[in-house]
Amino acid sequence: MDLRAGDSWGMLACLCTVLWQVPAVPALNRTGDPGPGPSIQKTYDLTRYLEHQLRSLAGTYLNYLGPPFNEPDFNPPRLGVETLPKATVNLEVWRSLNDKLRLTQNYEAYSHLLCYLRGLNRQAATAELRRSLAHFCTSLQGLLGSIAGVMAALGYPLPQPLPGTEPTWAPGPAHSDFLQKMDDFWLLKELQTWLWRSAKDFNRLKKKMQPPATAVTLHLEARGF
Amino acid sequence: MFTLQTWIVQALFIFLTTESIGELIVPCAHIHPESSVVQIGSNFTAVCVLKEKCMDDYHVTADDIFWKISRATVSRDQYTVINRTSSSVTFLNIPLINVLLTCNIRMFGQINRSVYGIRIISGLPPEKPENLSCIVNEEKKMMCQWDLGRETHLETNYTLKSEWATEKFEDCKAKRDTPTSCTVNYPPVYFVNIEVWVEAENALGKVASDHINFDPIDKVKFNPPHILSVNNSKELSSILKLTWSDSRFRSFITLKYDIQYRTKDASTWNQVPPEDTSSTRSSFTVQDLKPFTEYVFRIRCMKEDGKGFWSDWSEEASGITYEDRPSKAPSFWYKIEPSHAHGTRSVQLKWKTLPPFEANGKILDYEVTLTRWKSRLQNYTVQDTKLTVNLTNDRYVATLTARNTVGRSDASVLTIPAWDFQATHPVTDLKAFPKDNVLWVEWTAPSEPVNRYILEWCVLSDKSPCIPDWQQEDGTVHRTYLRGNLVESKCYLITVTPVYADGPGSPEHIKAYLKQAAPSKGPTVRTKKVGKNEAVLEWDQLPVDVQNGFIRNYTIFYRTVIGNETAVNVDSSHTEYTLSSLTSDTLYMVRMAAYTDEGGKDGPEFTFTTPKFAQGEIEAIVVPVCLAFLLTTLLGVLFCFNKRDLIKKHIWPNVPDPSKSHIAQWSPHTPPRHFNSKDQMYPDGNFTDVSVVEIEANDKKPFPEDLKSLDLFKKEKVNTEGHSSGIGGSSCMSSSRPSISSSDENESAQNTSSTVQYSTVVHSGYRHQVPSVQVFSRSESTQPLLDSEERPEDLQLVDNVDGSDGILPRQRYFKQNCSQHETSPDISHFERSQQVSSVNEEDFVRLKQQQISDHISQPYGSGKMKMFQEVPAVDAFGPGIEGQVERFETVGMEAVVDEGMPKSYLPQTVRRGGYMPQ
Repeated sequence: MDLRAGDSWGMLACLCTVLWQVPAVPALNRTGDPGPGPSIQKTYDLTRYLEHQLRSLAGTYLNYLGPPFNEPDFNPPRLGVETLPKATVNLEVWRSLNDKLRLTQNYEAYSHLLCYLRGLNRQAATAELRRSLAHFCTSLQGLLGSIAGVMAALGYPLPQPLPGTEPTWAPGPAHSDFLQKMDDFWLLKELQTWLWRSAKDFNRLKKKMQPPATAVTLHLEARGF
Repeated sequence: MFTLQTWIVQALFIFLTTESIGELIVPCAHIHPESSVVQIGSNFTAVCVLKEKCMDDYHVTADDIFWKISRATVSRDQYTVINRTSSSVTFLNIPLINVLLTCNIRMFGQINRSVYGIRIISGLPPEKPENLSCIVNEEKKMMCQWDLGRETHLETNYTLKSEWATEKFEDCKAKRDTPTSCTVNYPPVYFVNIEVWVEAENALGKVASDHINFDPIDKVKFNPPHILSVNNSKELSSILKLTWSDSRFRSFITLKYDIQYRTKDASTWNQVPPEDTSSTRSSFTVQDLKPFTEYVFRIRCMKEDGKGFWSDWSEEASGITYEDRPSKAPSFWYKIEPSHAHGTRSVQLKWKTLPPFEANGKILDYEVTLTRWKSRLQNYTVQDTKLTVNLTNDRYVATLTARNTVGRSDASVLTIPAWDFQATHPVTDLKAFPKDNVLWVEWTAPSEPVNRYILEWCVLSDKSPCIPDWQQEDGTVHRTYLRGNLVESKCYLITVTPVYADGPGSPEHIKAYLKQAAPSKGPTVRTKKVGKNEAVLEWDQLPVDVQNGFIRNYTIFYRTVIGNETAVNVDSSHTEYTLSSLTSDTLYMVRMAAYTDEGGKDGPEFTFTTPKFAQGEIEAIVVPVCLAFLLTTLLGVLFCFNKRDLIKKHIWPNVPDPSKSHIAQWSPHTPPRHFNSKDQMYPDGNFTDVSVVEIEANDKKPFPEDLKSLDLFKKEKVNTEGHSSGIGGSSCMSSSRPSISSSDENESAQNTSSTVQYSTVVHSGYRHQVPSVQVFSRSESTQPLLDSEERPEDLQLVDNVDGSDGILPRQRYFKQNCSQHETSPDISHFERSQQVSSVNEEDFVRLKQQQISDHISQPYGSGKMKMFQEVPAVDAFGPGIEGQVERFETVGMEAVVDEGMPKSYLPQTVRRGGYMPQ
């Protein structure tokens, strides 16, 4: 392929930009990923996989809780679960957030949700359900690590958990059984919402971080020189 | 188990070698180290430290320590006495061992005692595990495997470790029986990288493999997809649509597929191009399939990026493509059958069912049209594959189409020529040969353009008729194979007929075998002609049913019983062969083998014997011999004839003819002219007593004695003064013997020419007076005597004469041997032999006695001796004896008293006179 001199200069400039970026990206993964792209993609895939996993888990768990929680149109008012991180935020507000903030919020939310979920696991009556919940917890733990990896790849610091504010699951005596089940219901609901939201976030981030296809081509061709 | 045993032994040692005084069991010594695992090839030192108490009790020091390995004392070179209480032993370059090392003491200079023992095991530290790899079967847990490296000879633990950046997972300890793999205990978390490595550890060390870091989703082996349906399309008969369900991962990862298909009967799979199925999908339409054909499909999947593993193949599913119109016209041929009706022909049109790949559906029927030149069309719709029509002798054109639910095939056109059509232009260079288990036929096309070829074939057999199968080939083809169920070792007659636009050409034939075999029967050989040194063998050609191939040649094996077998090869065109250089008068065994290309078969063995003489040889010998004999005989006869006078002189002595003799010349008292005449004799017989004795002609009395007797007689005759007469003729060659004539009256009339008559001229006394001198006279005649039977009337005559008048009775003595034997069956052996040897004497005596018994009274027959003694007296009683008593010397006399009385021979007694019969 013959290239004109003008193109060559453009490619060289682009290559320099890319090469400039490479050392700036900190080592985020133990495998030494070349950039945040793959880890963002992986995080995106993981959120979708967790969405899929949660669908079956939630179905099983709601069945375990029994009616009315397993009814499709059951939509109770949100009561006594204020401690759960809310996934439902104003679109405008959310759009105004930058990547770092969004990632931080994701990380914090899943840290909390994971904590509550572990409490759920301890409550679960059947071994099968416990196993499913444990696996989901592990996966969620993986998502947390994945988000942390992405943040590290992008050079964002991990949010430090405030001492004493570590969310712990404590069965309050004030909670009736029904209200407890309501909490569980909302926990799963919030998880679903968060995963859905995270999937969108990571998809956007993925697209954002993906170098333009031409640049990649140029990069490869430049190496050919 | 072994380890357990050694520990028990060690414990027992310690127990035995400890002082059990007091409350605690205290060993007498200690070895450092307590137990040891030693690396193979390294050095090892153990120190035994005695306790003061033991030293005091047993009065031993470190000098009294000696070491044993598994009951064998270690050489003192390896000992080192460190101080008064301690002794060490060093082993260099430890091999692979598992032994017990004991510290022993020698007490009081002679008692050995083990005081402590340790086990030494040698082995190797683990090697770094290599080739660690993991696989995640969908819905199952992750399994990793690795290579162990060298054998350590020690108990080695392998632990699979895994962790995230933020979290460690539970270790996976490999089981002892599967130390190269381990399946983790937790479900995999996809899309999060995990770091995995293996640690191997034993008593000599610990080593970890390289760490591998991966996303479990990249190690997944998905469950195989499940084919839901295979659908065809009415619009397109060449496609089938495949739908399936697959992994739940399809919603968030990209899969690629591998689809394979084949026709139901095929064994190899066709591949759908991978680029067509490189993204997640749940259905695929396979194209370019054959109509109305059943296809089988299978599918597998994996991650689109190629990471991970292909799933197993799905279960197979099948579907049938939709029908299409038949793609080809059927093969079409005809056969003219003999018809009785004049001017018409019975034509059997026949065609082949289309193979499924050409029929493209279920054939519903066939349509046949027949067109005679410029005449109307005849249409037939047939479901069978043949149609027989009666046609005139004109030329016809037949067409055939096959129909299925979708449509009709193209038409096959066949020209049936007029009856007087002359087929020409055959194919040339027709060849048939087997290859790859089919029978190929090859030919050179004729110069004329050929529409198509018809190949017909059938099995040649003597047992069944030739039922031809056939096939059609395009006009461009000049090499094909027979598409029928051909059988091996059968002779096929193949006919190739080119079909031209105006009708069929001349057929060409060839024979071929799909696979030859040795003949199932050998030829039966037989001889056509056997000569002294050669034999012409002949045989029949083998029937085609047993040939099993082309007979290439024959081999004739022939041998004698003891000789080596000789083989002769004969060309297959012969049915006769001449074996030459055979030995005469020998049994030959011959058999014959017929050979095809694949082997031979012996026929039955045939034996023949060569004659001793060639044909005509016997005749050549016998005829001259016979001729020579005849010639000799003839010459002899001629000689005899010529010399007959001489011979006659020698053989027949000149016997004087009695009839011509004149007795008067030597007995002047008797006129010779009366001798032969009875009538004349009796009147003159007053003084002459003639007795006649008949002698057998075949008497074996030796001739010389005869002569002697004759001489004697002659002498006596000379001396005798009395009368004698000898009458009789003798025949040629017969021998005569002397006989003693009785004193009875002779009858000259009996003496014919065949009898010899002995005459005794007796000067007989009268009544009891015995003459003092006995004179014998014998006739010189040797004429044979007549048997008494010839003249039975003579005997009668005797009686008559005897009992009638006083005329001198005639006495005839006959041989009566036969009657003698019959009447005396109990005669003794001696008597019999005597009787045989002296038959003539007996005859004589018997007759004499008979004669006597006729006259003597009963008392005379009572005793032999008495009888014998009385014999002389008999003569005296004899009636009619006129003074002439025969004096004879009796040799053996049989005493015959009466009929039925016992007879016996008397011992030979020579009485005076000196004659002794032989």
